[in-house]
Amino acid sequence: MQAELKWLDDPQTFRVNQLPAHSDHHYYATDADAKSGDNQLEQSLDGTWQFAFAATPQDRPQGFYRPDFDRSGFDTIQVPGHIELAGYGQLHYTNTLYPWEGKQYRRPAYTLGDQTGMPGMFSQGADNTVGAYVRTFTLAPGLRHHTVTVQFDGVEEAMYLWLNGHFVGYAEDSFTRSEFDLTPYLQDGENLIAVEVFKRSTAAFLEDQDFFRFSGIFRSVRLLAQPAIHLADLTVRANVTPDLQTGDLNLRLRLQSLQATTGAQAQVTLADAAGQTILTQTVGAKGDLRLSHLPVPQVHLWAHHTPYLYRLTIRLLDAQGTVVEVVPVAVGFRRVELKDKVMLLNGKRLILNGVNRHEWDARSGRVISLADMQADIAIFKDHHINAVRTCHYPDQDAWYDLCDQNGIYMMAENNLETHGTWQKMGAVEPSDNVPGSLPQWREVVLDRARSNYETFKNHPAILFWSLGNESYAGDNLAAMNQFYKEHDDTRLTHYEGVCRNRVYQDRISDMESMMYDPPMAIRDYLEHDPQKPFINCEYMHDMGNSLGGMNSYTDLLDEFPMYQGGFIWDYIDQALWVTDEVTGKPVLRYGGDFDDRHSDYEFSGDGLLFADRTPKPALQEVSHYYGKYDD
Amino acid sequence: MASTTTELRVIYGDGTLGLAGEHFQYIFSYERGGLESLKQFGKEWLYRTPKPAFWRATTDNDRGNHFSETSAMWLGADLFSPCRSVAVAVNGQPITLPIAPENNRYSDNETAQTVTVTYTYATATVPATMVTVAYTVDGTGTIAVTTHYTGQPGLPELPAFGLRLIAPTVATEFTYQGLSGETYPDRMAGGRPGTYQVTGLPVTPYMVPQENGMHMATHWVKITRETTLNNADPDRDPFQLTVRQHGDQPFAFSCLPYTAAELENATHIEELPLARRTVLTLFGAVRGVGGIDSWGADVEDAYHVSAETDHDFTVEIAGPTA
Repeated sequence: MQAELKWLDDPQTFRVNQLPAHSDHHYYATDADAKSGDNQLEQSLDGTWQFAFAATPQDRPQGFYRPDFDRSGFDTIQVPGHIELAGYGQLHYTNTLYPWEGKQYRRPAYTLGDQTGMPGMFSQGADNTVGAYVRTFTLAPGLRHHTVTVQFDGVEEAMYLWLNGHFVGYAEDSFTRSEFDLTPYLQDGENLIAVEVFKRSTAAFLEDQDFFRFSGIFRSVRLLAQPAIHLADLTVRANVTPDLQTGDLNLRLRLQSLQATTGAQAQVTLADAAGQTILTQTVGAKGDLRLSHLPVPQVHLWAHHTPYLYRLTIRLLDAQGTVVEVVPVAVGFRRVELKDKVMLLNGKRLILNGVNRHEWDARSGRVISLADMQADIAIFKDHHINAVRTCHYPDQDAWYDLCDQNGIYMMAENNLETHGTWQKMGAVEPSDNVPGSLPQWREVVLDRARSNYETFKNHPAILFWSLGNESYAGDNLAAMNQFYKEHDDTRLTHYEGVCRNRVYQDRISDMESMMYDPPMAIRDYLEHDPQKPFINCEYMHDMGNSLGGMNSYTDLLDEFPMYQGGFIWDYIDQALWVTDEVTGKPVLRYGGDFDDRHSDYEFSGDGLLFADRTPKPALQEVSHYYGKYDD
Repeated sequence: MASTTTELRVIYGDGTLGLAGEHFQYIFSYERGGLESLKQFGKEWLYRTPKPAFWRATTDNDRGNHFSETSAMWLGADLFSPCRSVAVAVNGQPITLPIAPENNRYSDNETAQTVTVTYTYATATVPATMVTVAYTVDGTGTIAVTTHYTGQPGLPELPAFGLRLIAPTVATEFTYQGLSGETYPDRMAGGRPGTYQVTGLPVTPYMVPQENGMHMATHWVKITRETTLNNADPDRDPFQLTVRQHGDQPFAFSCLPYTAAELENATHIEELPLARRTVLTLFGAVRGVGGIDSWGADVEDAYHVSAETDHDFTVEIAGPTA
């Protein structure tokens, strides 16, 4: 198969030869590895890559992935990182208006009666910068003689992959892991891996988030070897009986095997937080296994102040009884319900003291470290923040683990925002909206819903699936909602955009969600036969010196059980450290400070924290009001 | 005979109108009330959208005769006058403002001979009046900027009337054809006509920073910068922007690293912030500096600027290949 540039133009081509999304569980060759976390099946490809930048697709070094290509003119770049922060390509911040505003006229393919599919819109885009990445690797001993995949945790915004000159696959969806099987093209000794990253594709229409518009391999890359018997996907349903006394554990294991499975076994053990074994089961390891309704008496429930995690361990043993794979998974038992139009967690009314959180580091943009995440958790805990919306894309895996461990309720949002296709000059004007109800834009958004679900489905912290942000509403959003409903009855769905198109309100979102509704408007809703519980998916716009009058929102909690709080906009300012050209000192710069136009300038500075993670003065006010409802 | 005039590429955006041609790209914003981007040879010339200028930093004589106190509302107007409307004309014909859904009917291949974008500002004064700034762009990238102030009875005298453009980085020099030195309507007889090069952006070091750097009766000014804010543009070769008179009517300008408000705030030269931008103000009307005394005497009658009568001026921002 050959890579085709026209995929950039086609909303119906968004993954080629990618492995299906699956749970984000870690797997190890031995118990010792599982305990230490030092994984001999894993090999990081982070670090220095060779790199060439091109201003347009036509200027790119075609064929750079071939082993015999002359790459002597290539520079180097760090992975993970943004191409723009490495000095190639202009930094650019824009909110609603697409980044090509005033420079290119574009309408999404198949809107406004288009039948052509708009060939060339991105593949010949004068603004479509290209990064050509290449490096070599030799398989570490633990990976040899196995099936080997490569995982890209985040590449913005479309990528083509080659190994040793062979085309491997193509991926979009910047904030979702893309995984490819490299086994057919691996060779002994040195291998050459090459990635071509395009800044724009039809995915650009779906990724119109209010943020800096970066490109590049901005999250980690790794090789992973799969043992001969391998847990490809795991579904954990850690339910609780209505009396909240007994855990009801349900597991589904999708196994993959390169050898005869006769005699192979899957050993499943659940231990409590103290390491005490609660239950253990051994079953034949093959195919699609289900273990249903395993009872856990006197279950410890998972909640904000008591994020109790059990330890599930799945060991796969071959016919000789040798352990070939060990999978440790944290399990939290909790019960999410919608009862009498009120959302309950473990039988208790849920109050969301939440924030919207973009992944941000003022030095590295959306390349953030574990230390950044740990600092954020510490701030949450110090200031009674109990919930987070992953606005407006899936975050790095580690953030979900941290939320599990620290009892942070998650609204896990898809990577979707098409604001610029329906809200124009402040008016609702959806004539060229995508995904809308266009069949050509259906599968791509369903794929985003599926990836989000399949990857993160085992995290107890996730109470809500969010379809995306500000993308209007149509059949395709309804199909996303339906996907979650068909796959997961242990969580609720969320989507604010349906309030812009009420025709879909019975098919989309379990809650009435608004952004920036004044307190009086919320009261008006709650006093007039409300059909769904109310939350603010965004409120208290903390731009600059803001966040006054927060009590007008929190007071509603005392009055209306169906008012269940919300998520402040937002957690951290988005600004970048730059060396000041006049003083030589480090300064924080925002939109427009890079000659980037059209820009929305200081509109990216809405955080409870400054961009360098120091708290703004308003944080003590949040701490006060959220503290009142922190039980 | 086929027209040989270069056509202007028009990008009918959702919040802006883009105009482009060889070596230039301009973006007119509907939401931000002005020209948001003026790029020639890939170099950005605007930090924020140009706005009408009504203030000059108080001179010692202004302080003496209390002019700034009686005309204080123009300082507010200088800082806070909102844009009330935008209109677009193509080849001289007004069109419906091409925002969505109106702009759905256009394509990625639209051209025109000329496009005019007109912004109307309401002055933040009581009573208010209207100012229009119309930009007419042709295929060479030349922009004719026509500015109109509508006289309004009851408004105090104007310190000045002009259009202020702020470039992202500080200029290294400017050259102009006009009068030597610093000139004002009542102090320009000594100015010798000629072409003058000014290095850096000197601020005349009056003990108390105040209005300075005015150049009356100018035919053209060419500003040179060497740096941009674009992180991906390490190039340090000098590049220029030229503003010239339209027809036979010269104009006044000042080119300083500070706005009138920044100058107004300082009581010593060292209180001024570090120079980091280029503030080019183009003037159609300038109040004299006076000088009979500095404790009460007004500027002579002929050098006042009435706010009760209309004021008009036009200048041209030259296209990239001029």
